[in-house]
Amino acid sequence: MNIVEINALSKEYKVKKKRIRALDNLSLTIQKGEIFGFLGPNGAGKSTTIKILTDQIRATSGSATIFGIQSNKAEARRQIGYLPENPAFYDFMTAREYLSFTGKCFNMPESSLAERTNQVLATLDLLDAANRPLKGFSKGMTQRLGLAQALLHDPDLFIFDEPMSGLDPVGRAMVKKIIKDLKNKGKTVFFSTHITSDVEVVCDRVGILVKGRLVAIDSVEHIMATGIEGYIIQIRGQDNKTEEIKVSNSELNGVIARLLADNVKIERVNPVAHNLEDFFLDTIQAQVPTNESQ
Amino acid sequence: MQHFKLIFSATFVAIKRDRLLHALAGASLLLFLLVPVISMFSMRQVQELAITLFLSSLSFTLLIFSILLGVFSIWKDIEKRYIISVLSMPIKRRDYLLGKFSAIALFLMFTVCLMGIIGYGTITFAAHQYQSEIPVSWPNIFTAMLMSGAKYILLAAVALLFSVISTSIFLPITGTIGIFLAGSATQGLYEYINSGSGAQDISLTGQYVIKALYYLLPNFSAFDYQVYAAYTLALPLDTIFYTVCYWLIYTSFLLFCASIIFEKKEFR
Repeated sequence: MNIVEINALSKEYKVKKKRIRALDNLSLTIQKGEIFGFLGPNGAGKSTTIKILTDQIRATSGSATIFGIQSNKAEARRQIGYLPENPAFYDFMTAREYLSFTGKCFNMPESSLAERTNQVLATLDLLDAANRPLKGFSKGMTQRLGLAQALLHDPDLFIFDEPMSGLDPVGRAMVKKIIKDLKNKGKTVFFSTHITSDVEVVCDRVGILVKGRLVAIDSVEHIMATGIEGYIIQIRGQDNKTEEIKVSNSELNGVIARLLADNVKIERVNPVAHNLEDFFLDTIQAQVPTNESQ
Repeated sequence: MQHFKLIFSATFVAIKRDRLLHALAGASLLLFLLVPVISMFSMRQVQELAITLFLSSLSFTLLIFSILLGVFSIWKDIEKRYIISVLSMPIKRRDYLLGKFSAIALFLMFTVCLMGIIGYGTITFAAHQYQSEIPVSWPNIFTAMLMSGAKYILLAAVALLFSVISTSIFLPITGTIGIFLAGSATQGLYEYINSGSGAQDISLTGQYVIKALYYLLPNFSAFDYQVYAAYTLALPLDTIFYTVCYWLIYTSFLLFCASIIFEKKEFR
């Protein structure tokens, strides 16, 4: 089942009488239970896509549906937990008051709201600050509250715009754990980032957006597998010294067979692979001539 | 309806906790308490002056509150990006806008009631200082207060409309003040050009402009019942009825326009 379906979505902004195309014919589907990472350099159109999905801005052309409902309908947002980029919340409220406000907006019953509020505050390590006005919250605390309000009503789809932004390493690890937990619960997560290491750790699939165009979309597993350039075989020689042999993909089987025939002890075989960052940079680099020629 | 109520109560809480409004309310209170003292300077019309001063002070307080709340309520949400968090929930933009406006309107009427209690005390005190030949008519005073409240609710609707049109603060503030000044003057100008000397003094184009402004802009002077309150004149009930109808239609029209514009607004 497609949780998110984006069809030929385009968005143009008018900046000083100039038309700027922020999103160019984007088509994308996100399946149930999938963790989808939306990668791209700054200004690639990641936030524009998310803003269209959450009805902050309207597409110039194309359409987007969430659970089969047009994304510009309020009803479509009922099953979304959304964390905006650099979130800001009513600063005259306390964290607990804001979560109560959020819960009521999602029609959560009063009976479960208080308990769930405490749960999410504890998960995001905000219990001690629960009754403090948001005016005094640091950027990291506000970001964590943003995650808390997204998790509160236990939706089926989470849309996070740069969820690690403003967080310290402990906070980042916490967010990664939350995303993994959501995956284990069968939830769908669509998140934007420009930090490839985050995607590598938590995502099932990744889409790369460059200048408003989706230039690559693949599973993280496949990207990592196709990025293998060769292998390093670690062996223990007859003089009990460790040696490393670098072989290409095609040579691997033959070399291993020969070593085994010679009774050489193979201690480890490590793939020499590109990481996701290399893939990301290569993909962006590949777009440069195309874009320049345009 | 649930979302309307939530935005309404959140806005009311924001108003209650706003320190600037606390300071302004304190200053207004001081102004009201000074009414009996200043009224003493009028040797014969202490009561009449006390009523006029009280209603003028109320009007000034409501003017400040309506501009501040009408202009800043939505503008601040947009400027500080609160609106992104709020509207990404399943809240209809129309409910958000009407919830905000209703909270502001209720707060203005709450101010009228609270100041009414204080006014009752200050006017009674002033009236006892120098017995007037005219009795104090509380129904007239309360009618003048309520009409004043209605006038500034209408002004808040004007401010709200400007704040959804513009992303800068300049247009909502200057636009609201400009509409208030023009809307308070059109009645007098309209009567002037319809008088013999006015028709001669002002060019035909000028007369058309004044007539156009008179029919287009909200007529704030229609809500002025100070004279009826100060001199206990018989209230023109039919005029009050038409003014209330005018207020309802004009306010609804402004909110309708604001709602259409807000529905199309993009939050980048």
